Amino acid sequence: MAAGFVTKAFRGLRWPRLPAALVSCSGHAYGTAAAAETAALPTLHESTDDTENLLRLSLNQPDFFRLSEIFNLKDLFNARVHLGHKKGCRHRLMEPYLFGSRLDVDIIDLEQTVEHLRLALNFTAHVAFCGGVILFVSRRRQFSHLVESMAKECGEYAHTRYWQGGLLTNAHIQYGTGVRLPDLVVFLSTLNNVFQQHVAVRDAAKMNIPTVGVVDSNCNPSLITYPVPGNDDTPAAMELYCRLFKMTINRAKDKRKQLELLRGLGSSAGPL
Amino acid sequence: MRVCCVLTNKMRTISGGTRPWTNRPVLHTKCTKTAYTGSGKAPEHLQEPDQDARKPGFAAAYELHTDLRPDGRRGPADEESFATLLRRSPLVQMGPARDRIVTGRIFKVVGDDLYVDFGAKFHCVCRRPPEGPDAGRYQRGARVRLRLEDLELTARFLGAATDTTLLEAEATLLGLLDGKDAAKLKK
Repeated sequence: MAAGFVTKAFRGLRWPRLPAALVSCSGHAYGTAAAAETAALPTLHESTDDTENLLRLSLNQPDFFRLSEIFNLKDLFNARVHLGHKKGCRHRLMEPYLFGSRLDVDIIDLEQTVEHLRLALNFTAHVAFCGGVILFVSRRRQFSHLVESMAKECGEYAHTRYWQGGLLTNAHIQYGTGVRLPDLVVFLSTLNNVFQQHVAVRDAAKMNIPTVGVVDSNCNPSLITYPVPGNDDTPAAMELYCRLFKMTINRAKDKRKQLELLRGLGSSAGPL
Repeated sequence: MRVCCVLTNKMRTISGGTRPWTNRPVLHTKCTKTAYTGSGKAPEHLQEPDQDARKPGFAAAYELHTDLRPDGRRGPADEESFATLLRRSPLVQMGPARDRIVTGRIFKVVGDDLYVDFGAKFHCVCRRPPEGPDAGRYQRGARVRLRLEDLELTARFLGAATDTTLLEAEATLLGLLDGKDAAKLKK
């Protein structure tokens, strides 16, 4: 059932429209997140000058999508994003992101979280602007429905069920040749149900897929490309993250449509 | 003459800084230190606190009055640092959680178990009190009083590297929230 769900996700809307040239470059290695953005431009065999100009235009300004307006520190504070686990659950590598510990409860530094979240949302917006496939992963059963409905509303994909071992690393054998892997994996919780790191974190790093992840004080942030230190246990915080990611992706896609219309490209240009 | 100059200066910075006619949240001064600026009016906004400290008399009083706007928006005092927000938050002001009385709201009922959220990281699960006059009132959305034991149930077991957490808080249910008890409560 899980395999069928993911297959449907990967062979969804984007698969029939991809030309053969793009299919062949879906397995290209993207070493860093920055390379992933810029590498998307020159490897297009069928892109026109207009499309390239559009993509370069988005990279000219630091905050092209004006994402600094959609949240502020007070919103994060009211959503209880600063609350971490107890001191005994702390992961050693999360110590730089902590403001301190109050009566054994770790407090996450929201000044840092604001910066990290801004970077993460900006990157997500650029991936969505370029027509990338975004996969939301979370193994928290309490928020599974929330994540799935959020992914549906912004036209992206979600995987909140049991993760089969070879989903990313063995995709070409399990799902057939030429399957397009996600261009970004967003973790709304990086742990699975037994408090170990989710397999997808390691697998995405193996497949050179950039990741954005909300890391709580008991998570390991080292393999995640854009970690966002924050609470991942409270419904208020999860709803805030879902709302922010949805707004970001919708904003980026709307901007893309708007710019394409302005330049008279129409719908023939395709996603990339 | 000087007063007129001050007034126009103040009106310009206020309209640039707070934008009461839009629904967008205001960019804070911390954010403008990075490259992400939502509007081009950031420099004026940043100058405001320095100028306020030196303005005497009428100018200071004018600034004070503009903070108390009828639409509830506050001026520069709204941009508190995280340390200030944390220090003034109810969770920190409460102190140690043991034996503190708080109010919570039931957000889920499963049989006899009531899942109550009281504003901390985790919820607590309490058993519905046995037959009484109020037993039927413990439904989803009801406000209840709790005595907290712990904000998060964790323990270090033998041979483990980190604590094992239950992802729940622990509290004793005291009863429904009545009007006369509201004044005694912290949250």
